Amino acid sequence: MINPVLGRELRERMRTGRAFVVLGVFLALLILTVYLVYQGRESTGLIELDLARQTQLGRDLYEWVLFVMLALVLFFVPGLTAGAIAGERERQTLLPLQVTLLRPRSILFGKVLAGMSFLVLLLVAALPVTMVAYLLGGIRLWDGLKGLGAICIVAFLLTAMIASLSTFTRRVQTATLMAYGFTALLVLVGPLLYFTLGVADRSSGTDLRNPPAAILAVNPISVVADITSGNTLTGDGNPLRWARQSLREAKVNNADSWFAWFPDDSFGNRFRILEPDDGGFPAWAVGTIGLALLAALMATLAVRRLRTPAEVER
Amino acid sequence: MNDEAPIEMLPPHDDSAAEFGTEPTAEITTEPEGHQPDDAADRSVAVRAQKLTKRYGALVAVNSLDLEVPRGSIFGLIGPNGAGKSTTFAMMASLLRPTSGKITVMGADPAHKPRTVRRRMGYMPDNLGVYDNLRVDEYLEFFAASYGIHRAEWSTLVDGLLELVDLSVKRTAMVNSLSRGMKQRLSLARALVHDPELLVLDEPASGLDPRARVELRELLKSLNGMGKTIIISSHILAELEEMCTDVAIMEAGRLLAAGPPREILQQLGGARTVRVRFADGAAESFTVADDTEQASLLRRLVVEDGRAVVEFIEESGGLEQLFMTLTQGVVQ
Repeated sequence: MINPVLGRELRERMRTGRAFVVLGVFLALLILTVYLVYQGRESTGLIELDLARQTQLGRDLYEWVLFVMLALVLFFVPGLTAGAIAGERERQTLLPLQVTLLRPRSILFGKVLAGMSFLVLLLVAALPVTMVAYLLGGIRLWDGLKGLGAICIVAFLLTAMIASLSTFTRRVQTATLMAYGFTALLVLVGPLLYFTLGVADRSSGTDLRNPPAAILAVNPISVVADITSGNTLTGDGNPLRWARQSLREAKVNNADSWFAWFPDDSFGNRFRILEPDDGGFPAWAVGTIGLALLAALMATLAVRRLRTPAEVER
Repeated sequence: MNDEAPIEMLPPHDDSAAEFGTEPTAEITTEPEGHQPDDAADRSVAVRAQKLTKRYGALVAVNSLDLEVPRGSIFGLIGPNGAGKSTTFAMMASLLRPTSGKITVMGADPAHKPRTVRRRMGYMPDNLGVYDNLRVDEYLEFFAASYGIHRAEWSTLVDGLLELVDLSVKRTAMVNSLSRGMKQRLSLARALVHDPELLVLDEPASGLDPRARVELRELLKSLNGMGKTIIISSHILAELEEMCTDVAIMEAGRLLAAGPPREILQQLGGARTVRVRFADGAAESFTVADDTEQASLLRRLVVEDGRAVVEFIEESGGLEQLFMTLTQGVVQ
């Protein structure tokens, strides 16, 4: 039997006009991105006559569409999921739900799946926009699917984290503020920490170890940037390319990171999980595992919070 | 039901431990398939609380509560705001863990076997939490699914429930289009979706207009007639007086009295006023201590005085008098 919470959430969500507004805004912004990138390149000459430029345009389009898609996911997930449990509390529907035979994990999982289902709908609706790049020849079909897969992974993990966070508040407004704050931290803390540690290390003058690249890898943007890495690493200011370049430099420096204190043998190499080129785990895998562990921890705490009988009414 | 059950009174706010409750005489409901048989002692008791206590830091919401709710009864839990009624209900409904003491619901401990309790109990909290963007039938189907009822049974089940709560004509209406009284009945239908033996209703009549209150009362009586035990709290004492077979009065987390209302009143030694209207138009009020005195008064008026009596009614007393006698307006 389908998770009852999932069924109800989807029914309610699709019944309101909000879902279609979100879908419309999502697609409109992606189409606008394609239009702006295309216009920017076309202004330098006729692209149709130059195969190399056409391919470059395809690649640029893909990267920009992917970045805008990721940015929209990072923007929409907190807004759509923050009220998952807080909303139930606010409209006083959580108690009747908790006295049914549904287990807390089913309630939370239903909420996450409902949020994820809607995001999958958004991504599927955006497929034709993404595939413009494929038609121009800038990417292979596999590249396109990898990009969407990466966005799906990030969206799922972020949805799980935000839904879990939602169990800790009573008001949707508070939950929404917390969700956006958390997402901002998730995106910004890694890079800020990495560069701050790097600067502090360089200015100390005594210890020239670099911070571990994993700090930079456990980040939604890094995960998508690394999965979709192609040959084009330099570019037009696309944040994905910038993230990819930073990650590459961090991976090069990783051999000289704090982990270099470990012996340079098979034991020590286990800790050098991020190495340039073929060595170690890929950054996207490290990032995904890191985010998955964080999501699992938050979900565990959320399930405990939903469990009844409880010590206090929540 | 339980008219002969002995009761024992506690002085208000007495710290001493005391035993309460009725010796249950109510009918025993048949165990549904799949349930573990209860202890023999619990077969006639729907809910038993023993020294049940719930603390929130320094605040004692429920203080050493001893209570027995006979199966098949309509049990009214009465008390001012902050008396601990909702907290007691939350512990019954396996939502809150007691700080100390024990509670069993249909023979099972909600703190340790919450799912067993949830299968056999329907709970309606004191607030109307409903999903506004669902239709009435979808709302009930959602809860049927949440109780693990097979999809093939939903349609028949929803038909039956809507007929019971008189909402059949609203089957496809959106929940947000219902009046408060209708939402209240829908919530009751939700609590009944898995056909529980015990219904725990926290202030189900609050905010209802007089007609809706009367309809709710009749509905609860008919549910009780189906063999369901009903535990209900309300501020409207006249409502409870009309239908409750047993009551418990709480204040500041303590139980002040429990049992059939008339017996509590008798044990309190509370006098009742009987108003008599005679055929010649005259009316007089008499004070009597109990039913025996009331019967003796009637006989004397009719036989000895030879006066024609056209009306002989109890003018005051009941739950309101009981409530005012026992409670002191203590706020925690």
